Amino acid sequence: MALPVEAEHASGNEDFDSPRKIVKFFVVKKAEHEHAQKAELASFEEVMLPHLDAAHNLAKWLVRSEQDAQDVVQEAYLRAFRSFAGFRGSNGRAWLLTIVRNTSYTLLKKNRAVDLTTTFDEEIHAMGHESVSPAIILEHAEDADLMKNAMDELPAEFREILVLRHQEDLSYKEIGDILKIPTGTVMSRLARARGKLKEYLTDRVSQEK
Amino acid sequence: MNCEETTNLMDAYVDGELDPITSLQVERHLRECSKCEQVYEVDTAVAHVVSQAAPYYRAPTELRERIHSALRDAIGPSTIADSARENQLLASRTPPERRNVFSDLPWNRLALAAAILLAAIVASSLFPRMSAPTSDQFLAMQLIASHVRSLMANHLTDVASSDQHTVKPWLDVKLDFAAPVVDLSNQGFPLIGGRLDYLANHSVAALVYQRRKHFINLFVWPVESGTTRATKAVSRQGYHLLHWVDSDFNYWAVSDVSASDLQAFKEQFEGQLRTH
Repeated sequence: MALPVEAEHASGNEDFDSPRKIVKFFVVKKAEHEHAQKAELASFEEVMLPHLDAAHNLAKWLVRSEQDAQDVVQEAYLRAFRSFAGFRGSNGRAWLLTIVRNTSYTLLKKNRAVDLTTTFDEEIHAMGHESVSPAIILEHAEDADLMKNAMDELPAEFREILVLRHQEDLSYKEIGDILKIPTGTVMSRLARARGKLKEYLTDRVSQEK
Repeated sequence: MNCEETTNLMDAYVDGELDPITSLQVERHLRECSKCEQVYEVDTAVAHVVSQAAPYYRAPTELRERIHSALRDAIGPSTIADSARENQLLASRTPPERRNVFSDLPWNRLALAAAILLAAIVASSLFPRMSAPTSDQFLAMQLIASHVRSLMANHLTDVASSDQHTVKPWLDVKLDFAAPVVDLSNQGFPLIGGRLDYLANHSVAALVYQRRKHFINLFVWPVESGTTRATKAVSRQGYHLLHWVDSDFNYWAVSDVSASDLQAFKEQFEGQLRTH
C-alpha cells in the first residue's frame, strides 16, 4: 500500500491546493470507511448468525452432503453480506433462507442433479390412502431414520417445502416469498409432498406386515 | 361445503392457513362426514410425524467460525482493491502538481476541484449506509413532515368533502389504484377530504379525518409483495404513527391524537371497510 508514504508528506502542509491534502483526505476517509465496514459486519452478524442452524438445515436437506452444505452456507452468508444494504424487511431468517436456497440450487444445477422437480403422481389425493389409520402413521413419530429416508427420496422442491413448513414453521405467505410461487401453489405443493410421504409410510407399513 | 371442496382445502386447514369463515365451514363438514374426518386425521398425523421425526441438522460449531473469518476476509480484499483505485486516481492527478509549473494556471485549480469532487463521489459511494437512517425511520420522518405540512400550508385537502362518494372517485382518477375510502362520522372520526401526496417513491392517497380538534392523515398505497404484515405503532416528535397492512394496502395513520384514539380509528376504519 503506497498511501501511508504520501500521507507522511502531507503532515504540516496546510495548503488546500496541495495534492497531498487530497491524499490525506483519502487516508482519513479510508479509515472511516474501514470503520463503517466493521460496524456493518457487526450488525450483519448480529442479525444473520442466529439463523445459522436454519441455513445449515435447509442446505443439508437440499444438497445432502455435509461438505457441500457447509460450502453452500458459507457462500450464502458472503452473498447475504454483500447485499445486506438492500435488506429491508424484518424477517431476516426468510431473507437468508432465500439466499441459501438459491445458492443450493446453483450447486445442484452445476452437479446436474436430476431431482429438482417432479411431474409424476399429480393425482395423489385421488389415490385413496384413506384406509391407513392415523395411529399407524403416528407410530413413526419417533423414527428419525425412517423419516430421513422418506424425505431423501423426494425431489428437492418437496424436501425444501417440508423443511420450511414443518421445521421452520413459516407461513404459506413467507414460503411463497422464498420459493417465488403464489400461496395457492404453496398449498398444492405441500399437499403433494405430504401425499408422497403418506404413500411411503403406508408402503412401509404394508411391507412390515 | 362438499367432500371435494373440503379435500382441496384440507392441507391449508391442517396448517391453520384458512380464514376463520372458511375454516369454520371445513370444521362443520368434518363433523358431519366421517370419510373426510378420517382424511383429516391421517393428514394431521403425517404433518405431526414430519415435524417430530425429520432430523434437524444444526450447524457444527466450526462452520460458525469458518463463516466468521470468511466475512472478515471479505472486508479485507475489497479494501485493498479500493486503495489501489485511489492510488491510480492520485497517480493520474499528481505529476503536473509535482512539477509546480502550472500551479498558477486556473485550469489546474479546476482539475483539483474535479479531483476533490471525484474524491467525494468515491467516498460517498463507498459507504452510503453509514449515516443513512433505516428505511422505516426515514419513512416515519417523511410521514410526519407530510402531516405537518398539510396542516401548516393550509393545504389539508385537494378535495374537501365529507362524502366518501365524492372523495373516492376524485382520488381514483388521480391515482393508479383505487384507495379505500370510508366515512366514519358516526364513529367520531368524520371524513374531511382527500389529498394526493408523494411518499416512499409512490403517489399515495392521503385521507383526512377529524377527531374533535385534531386531524388524522391516513396515507394509503398498494402493498408490495414481501411487506411484513405486522401492525406497528411509533411515537415521534409528539406525533403518533400507526401502521397496518391488509391484503391490498399499506396504511399509515399520522396524528397528534392519542395513541389509543389512533388505535380506535384503525379499528373503526377496518370495521367500516369490512361492512362495505
